[in-house]
Amino acid sequence: MKNRLKVLRAERDWSQQDLAGQLGVSRQSVNAIETGKYDPSLPLAFRISDVFGLSIEEIFLRE
Amino acid sequence: MNAAARQGRPGLWIGLFLASAGVIAALTVTDAIDSITGFILFAAATGLLIPFSRSLGKRGSACVSPAAIRYTKGIAVTSLLYVLGLGLAITLDRRMELSGAVAFLVALMPVIPILAMIWVMGRYLVEEQDEYLRYKTMIASLAGLGLVLAVGSFWGFLETFGLVPHMPGWWAVPVWAIGMGLGQAWMSLRDKAGDGE
Repeated sequence: MKNRLKVLRAERDWSQQDLAGQLGVSRQSVNAIETGKYDPSLPLAFRISDVFGLSIEEIFLRE
Repeated sequence: MNAAARQGRPGLWIGLFLASAGVIAALTVTDAIDSITGFILFAAATGLLIPFSRSLGKRGSACVSPAAIRYTKGIAVTSLLYVLGLGLAITLDRRMELSGAVAFLVALMPVIPILAMIWVMGRYLVEEQDEYLRYKTMIASLAGLGLVLAVGSFWGFLETFGLVPHMPGWWAVPVWAIGMGLGQAWMSLRDKAGDGE
């Protein structure tokens, strides 16, 4: 699934490690989600949406 | 490189362990040393897993979770116990006429660490809070299981057709570990290839 994580992170000047710290996951996880290798579970998608203050649909895009 | 820097490099210790195991295996296979000497050297080389697990703890949890550090330490300890149990069981079998209850108890020596290894893995899957790390471990376990099923069934047919000798069932654990290692290595390479940082 495509997503805007990298762009949203760049807008806030956050590193993958910064985002991982806020989500309580490893940097590997953020990298895997960002590069589309792993689709997060619904609870993690909601945590990502809370961190960015956006809805899930504004972060994750339909194929 | 100073001692503190060496202690914080798990790759160095695991590399030394694998290199030692390879050299010992080559010496044993070529009959340069006998199997008892090979076992003693391998048991000593397994001691390299102790500084390996310590170095993981010193590195902290920047790249791996606390559950993953506990898991790696648990696997290192149970692997060491497995090697010791396996060596003792084989040595006792060669030097004594094992039968009945004694043979049963000796057979348990390497099996109890294997059960502990399975428990360590189960505990990791329950304790790991990072869903991607948990997913990677499950995929690696499935890769190990797949290799055991593929090699086991292929070898079984070759054995039925009289092409290869009989293989004892305890090979399943090392083959599973190799498959799991290959699975982990493949996913790590894939992660590094697409690292967006």
